Amino acid sequence: MGAQLLGEESVNTVKNRKVLIVEDSRLIHKMYEVMLRPITLVSAFDGRDGLDKLSQSPDVDFIILDINMPRMTGLEFLAQLKATPALAQIPVIIVSTEGKEEDVARGLQNGAAAYLRKPFQREDLLKVVNRIESKQPAA
Amino acid sequence: MATLRRAQQLVRDAQVAIEEASRVVGESAGPASEARLVAAEAEREELTNRLAEVEHQVGRLMTLYVATYQLHATLDQVEVQSTIAEIALNLVGAEQFVLLLVDDEDQGYEVRLIHGEPDTPWVLSQRYTGGDFLVDSALADGGLRFGPTEQSPALAVVPLRVQDVTVGALVIFKLLAHKPAFVKEDHDLLDLLGAHAASAIFASRVYSKTARKLRTLESLIRLVNKG
Repeated sequence: MGAQLLGEESVNTVKNRKVLIVEDSRLIHKMYEVMLRPITLVSAFDGRDGLDKLSQSPDVDFIILDINMPRMTGLEFLAQLKATPALAQIPVIIVSTEGKEEDVARGLQNGAAAYLRKPFQREDLLKVVNRIESKQPAA
Repeated sequence: MATLRRAQQLVRDAQVAIEEASRVVGESAGPASEARLVAAEAEREELTNRLAEVEHQVGRLMTLYVATYQLHATLDQVEVQSTIAEIALNLVGAEQFVLLLVDDEDQGYEVRLIHGEPDTPWVLSQRYTGGDFLVDSALADGGLRFGPTEQSPALAVVPLRVQDVTVGALVIFKLLAHKPAFVKEDHDLLDLLGAHAASAIFASRVYSKTARKLRTLESLIRLVNKG
């Protein structure tokens, strides 16, 4: 079996999805906007902002979450999310520069569905999105 | 994107050809049919690999586009410096780095941004007066340098040059723990950073000076009008 098809084809399968991005870097927000087009993105710039955005748009299909952010970190956000029954089932993908094995283990133990280390390639991101998507009910 | 869609179509066509060949093999399992099936499989494999390579290139171009876009999205000096730091950390994977910018008054280099506490003595002094071989040579000829060497602890020195003038340098001392070394894509990104960060810094400095002069002139006009 050769290389797995990713890119356009895989993005098209999730194009009707809505994703919350919780990330303090404007550069990385722009990166997601370009790499995940045409998926609908909801942008938040720290954990607290993320919770506010979730209260306005609770119908997001999954969340992409940074760890190091001002006001409320990604792990604090994750703890609050998992403590809210109505939101606890939303899959979370942590994308962070914190890449030690213990960081990854901590993120997954706290309820993240996947962990991706920065810097990442587009195909790495799409692989993780596809993996999460394959576990979701059809759109 | 059209090329990518065309490549995907070719892979799908190859898949159809394989199914057709399989059907033929099923109907008349002779050596010729077997050979056709093997050839179609090989073609599909090659197309799939080529498509994966094209998609990888698309991803690389997206990264370069976003870095360029964000560097030129503002005329604020602090925001430009912050974008350079975001690129170094998030896109290159640098854990310890400093940004040197030329001091307009004495033409020396001041440390404008420190990330990750590098323990190099000149970093702590907030000023670079020379002495690191890689930094000196990159600042002198504007060429990207990779280390470390016996004369320098820097992993990379990215000179920031605009119109043949060096306005500063990004000096990377350490990569993130999960990134063992620079990869091919980093060279393109660092090259782009050298040119675009320099012009973004240059533009933001010109804008800042112009805005300051404008404010001074407006104050003068107000004074004259009052008098």
